[in-house]
Amino acid sequence: MMRYHDRPGGLVAVGVVLLALTSGIGLWASPAAAQNPIKIGASLSLTGTYAALGQNQNRGYQLCAKHVNEQGGVLGRKIEFVLYDDQSQPATGVRLYEKLITQDKVDAILGPYSSAITEAVANVNEKYKMPMVAPMASTTSIFKKGRKFIFMVQSPAEVYLEGLIDVAAKRGLKTVAILNEDTLFPKATVQGTIDLAKQKGLQVVFVEAYPKGNTDFSAVLTKVRAANPDVLAASTYFDDAVAITRQMKELNVNPKMFGVTVGGDLPKFYELLGKNAEFVYGATQWEPELPYPGANEFKDAHHKEFPGADLSYHAAGGYAGCRILADAIKRAGSLDGEKIRNEILKTDTSTVYGGFRVDQDGFQISHKMVMFQWQEGKKVIVWPDELAAGKARFPTPPWSQR
Amino acid sequence: MSVTITPTMVGQVIVSGLLAGALYSMVALGLALIFGVMRVINIAHGTFLMLGAYTTFWWFHLLQVNPYLSLLASMPLMFLLGVLLQRTMVSRVVDAPELSSLLLTFGLSLALVNLTQLLFSSDLRSVEYLTGAFLVGPFALSKSRLISFVFAVSITLLAFWFLQKTKLGKAIRATSQSSEVAMVCGINVERIHLYAFGIASALAAAGGSLVAVMIAIQPEMGQVFTLKSFLVIVLGGAGNYPGALVGGMLLGLVEQLSSLFLTTQLSEAVAYVLLVLVLLLRPSGLLGGRAR
Repeated sequence: MMRYHDRPGGLVAVGVVLLALTSGIGLWASPAAAQNPIKIGASLSLTGTYAALGQNQNRGYQLCAKHVNEQGGVLGRKIEFVLYDDQSQPATGVRLYEKLITQDKVDAILGPYSSAITEAVANVNEKYKMPMVAPMASTTSIFKKGRKFIFMVQSPAEVYLEGLIDVAAKRGLKTVAILNEDTLFPKATVQGTIDLAKQKGLQVVFVEAYPKGNTDFSAVLTKVRAANPDVLAASTYFDDAVAITRQMKELNVNPKMFGVTVGGDLPKFYELLGKNAEFVYGATQWEPELPYPGANEFKDAHHKEFPGADLSYHAAGGYAGCRILADAIKRAGSLDGEKIRNEILKTDTSTVYGGFRVDQDGFQISHKMVMFQWQEGKKVIVWPDELAAGKARFPTPPWSQR
Repeated sequence: MSVTITPTMVGQVIVSGLLAGALYSMVALGLALIFGVMRVINIAHGTFLMLGAYTTFWWFHLLQVNPYLSLLASMPLMFLLGVLLQRTMVSRVVDAPELSSLLLTFGLSLALVNLTQLLFSSDLRSVEYLTGAFLVGPFALSKSRLISFVFAVSITLLAFWFLQKTKLGKAIRATSQSSEVAMVCGINVERIHLYAFGIASALAAAGGSLVAVMIAIQPEMGQVFTLKSFLVIVLGGAGNYPGALVGGMLLGLVEQLSSLFLTTQLSEAVAYVLLVLVLLLRPSGLLGGRAR
């Protein structure tokens, strides 16, 4: 069997080279270079199922290191990533964080990609009392198990469709039907959506789950049509979001509002569906256009540093999570885990990624989801009002007139 | 939180079931043909469907060829690929133990799927050609599915006519019934194998071209069709060609009706429970075993 640290060994080298490339020439006699760098450990999904997303997050981490170091580093020292590849496997992630903390003796850590891997890794940093800002985990339960050293950056699964429900309520709509893929994250979204609908006085008239990989939605959409809801909310990933939209047209299912969770935000969604994507609402954690502090600079820096690379919320979230950790270390004035933890709990700020404030459990209470609507091939943010760039086109016209 | 089921809804899903079923029948007929003639379960069957879908996609995307017209490209192309693979590889395992042919076709399918990923990436693609529906009274008939249905039924009927009436078709059926006797009667069995594999691949490719207009295309899309085709031929009676027709329609209806009365999650389970029941009660399939 291959010894697991053989592979990370190679990746450290790659990581160091990457860092050397991205952090420019580091040999100037700046004060930050005088001492050993602060080592921040992380493993990301650089290969495997989540590779594309993990690589995006990595770009956020690297850009953060560059910017922090350009601004004089932390505690008079530069920061440097020790980065491994967990191959999108939770078990590998656990081993790597164990190794980062005990063998590489990193000074601080940052979270991996995905809820599943974060959930697995959270027990490791908890054991060593090392605070972990986890930028890419949005499943509530991870943060509600009494763990003290994990901190959430994104909005939780439960509020993905808050915008859709809120706008529907404001427009005086009464009924909502919900469809979801039958897996952890979409199920959490459904529960949250049902609660939100009740709070806003909407009646949930139909809920049904479908298996992962389902391609034929005719029967379930026939039922939706019979339920005749004002709003159809679908808790999706990507393939299903596309298929449901197409088949709604085929079965002439046309609620006044139709929104999806994940997948609707990818440019590919519009590429595949063309005009049929018009009027569809989607939820997203972040969009490059949002007027958050420093967002433009971040966008430009990302574009300059990684020409041609996707700019997604994974990069922005990774960047923000890393900045929050760096600031907390600065304010703590030390690398002591307890002290850093206290500073993170006190943090109440707005980053390129939006608001950041956590409750005593480390659960995110400030970051806001936004909702956009596809309008003439562009994602126009229509909710919440204070961030909206345009008005929702309401209600959706018959399919034949799109 | 569910809805009351009305006769209109039942009518609507029966229509959807028949539309899907015709396609299953056509694709499964290919699998039945290979099994009937060679006793080989072709796990790569769905892969040919996927390649057919990509053929349609590229013709549509690069040359703006009408997707239905691209049947004229995807079917002959996959026929040739099928013949080539039969000649170079599958022919070696025809009389070998069943595991060899399973492994070979499984390997072929992996190789072709990965090659497709390498060449075309695993991005979803779609042929946005006919979206939307004809509204007939209370029913919505998906345009793309309705046209696919017409093509699937025509191609299947054509295949049956070919098997029943032409000399080559008769030779194929004779080989299905007994390859020794066929050989003794002067039929070149190896040649029949080539034709059978080619025709089967062309049928799968036709399925792919028609499906391409209905759902998104990606390199792994074929696997579910291999499974469904397998289900269909076991339901109808392995190696029994009319059985594939009955099995396909039945599968389409069962899937849709169980999604309606139960949930989409349970509909797959229902299809497989049906499979187990058929195997227990009528192991030779609904229409009985060997091809006639």
